[in-house]
Amino acid sequence: MTDYLAQLAEVVVKGKIKEAKPLTEQALAAGVPANEIIFNGLSKGMEVVGQKYEKKEYYLPQVLLSAQTMYASLDVALPKLVVGSGGVRAKVVMAVVEGDVHDIGKNIVKAMLTGAGMTIFDLGRDVPIKNIVDKAKAESVDIVATSTLMTPTLAGMKEIERMMKEGNMKPKIKSMIGGGATSQEFASQIGADAWGPDAIAAVQIAMNLAKK
Amino acid sequence: MANMTPKERVLAALDRKKLDRPPVVCFTQIATVDAMDAVKVYWPDAHTDPHKMATLAAAPSKVFGFECVRLPFCLTVEAEVGGCRVDLGKMDRTPMVKSHVFDESNIPDDLPADFMTKGRIPVVIEAVKIAKQEFGKELPIVAGTTGPFTIAGHLVGTENLLLWIITNPEAVVKALKLATKLERSYIGALAKAGADVIVMSDPSASTDMLSGEMFDEYAAPYIIESFKDAGNAKKVLHICGDTTLLLDHMIKTGVNGLSIEEKVSPEKAVQIVNGRAALVGNVGVVRPLLQGTTEDVLRDATRVKNAGFNLVGPGCGLAARVPKANIEALIKAVKG
Repeated sequence: MTDYLAQLAEVVVKGKIKEAKPLTEQALAAGVPANEIIFNGLSKGMEVVGQKYEKKEYYLPQVLLSAQTMYASLDVALPKLVVGSGGVRAKVVMAVVEGDVHDIGKNIVKAMLTGAGMTIFDLGRDVPIKNIVDKAKAESVDIVATSTLMTPTLAGMKEIERMMKEGNMKPKIKSMIGGGATSQEFASQIGADAWGPDAIAAVQIAMNLAKK
Repeated sequence: MANMTPKERVLAALDRKKLDRPPVVCFTQIATVDAMDAVKVYWPDAHTDPHKMATLAAAPSKVFGFECVRLPFCLTVEAEVGGCRVDLGKMDRTPMVKSHVFDESNIPDDLPADFMTKGRIPVVIEAVKIAKQEFGKELPIVAGTTGPFTIAGHLVGTENLLLWIITNPEAVVKALKLATKLERSYIGALAKAGADVIVMSDPSASTDMLSGEMFDEYAAPYIIESFKDAGNAKKVLHICGDTTLLLDHMIKTGVNGLSIEEKVSPEKAVQIVNGRAALVGNVGVVRPLLQGTTEDVLRDATRVKNAGFNLVGPGCGLAARVPKANIEALIKAVKG
């Protein structure tokens, strides 16, 4: 089993996208449980990718390819996942707030959180604030994670905090923000529960928030 | 030197001449709501009307004391001409590209023959002419354009473009060639219309996206090609993010000036560049300009000036809501 897991991690790290699906099918056929594939194979792979990106060994093209490779494997493994079989099971709604279309950072965070075993409801980019809050309520998520690279759109994040408070969603549902125009000071100022400086840090932050 | 016009000062600074003080400029997006109020010209109207564009572009020099006229106010002119859908935004929100046009299989080899008459290209060219005539004696006319890698990203989706660097480099090159064709003609026309300085912003070619080697292969050659018809206009390359490792690569494009963000230490930038190009920047736009106090701005701007930047100004495009007092503090820090 550990052979398969190491190979799956390797496939993700190297971005061998064509091998992802057949290898995952083989691993499942050989009796490797889906949760092992996700948490001890793919997840480990994405962790390495994150570290390489942090050390500037990898740049965005490699990270994007690794993420695509992970998704190709997840397409096969996720349907076989037995619920409650370990790992952090946080549910996260993600979006780039209305007025901003820069979504690469959000997509990287999504890949990292998916790799960490979280369920992501990705609403995409340029998303109206109300849609984000409504989705969070409808899915009873654990975390609302939003990003923006621009400054005029920071007001949208403040609005999320206001609506979450008004809707009595806090403190049960946590909020985290990230993206070029954001900062720890800004997060504290608007009352967001956490600020993620980058995609790597976002994983640990989301895990901590999910435990609270 | 005290008698120099802002235009003489800016051009001398881009030639890296020794001056009594650096000019204080904004080579990236320059308009703010206070500037709009002063001349009663607002976004989004100013994006599509050449007279309004020229008037608003000059307002920050009159209202705050910046030493340049800078237009247009967005990085979407080229993308729109290339076929992207653009939302022109509102009074305090810059235009944005809403959709890309091509996928791997259908990137065309050429642009439509009449592309230079499309979209807002004629508006910007006309605005440069108007600005030149009205303000061009005293103030340098600075035209902002988009880098080929960023345009290519608009045309096919930036995430796709990045991924294809590994999976389909031919498609990347094809998109870049198309973007470069557009950009070279556009820059040639802007220079001919009277732009004294061409600033090319290539945010998608930052180190957050590309390694130095990828920059050399997929950004630099197309930047060089795009600038070929710039004539006598000064060439400035703006790249966002932490460009510490990219400065050498940027210099190799042969531009006169490098415009960089505050994520690079100003002292370190001066040390690395070492007189090989003029440095422009790098006071932070979000902090201190948007969210900081006047003391914060004064401190950071003074640091940049003392570090030896040839031109001092914001490290990136101004947000429309940057307070007037902070811009005035920036200008005071440089002019005294």
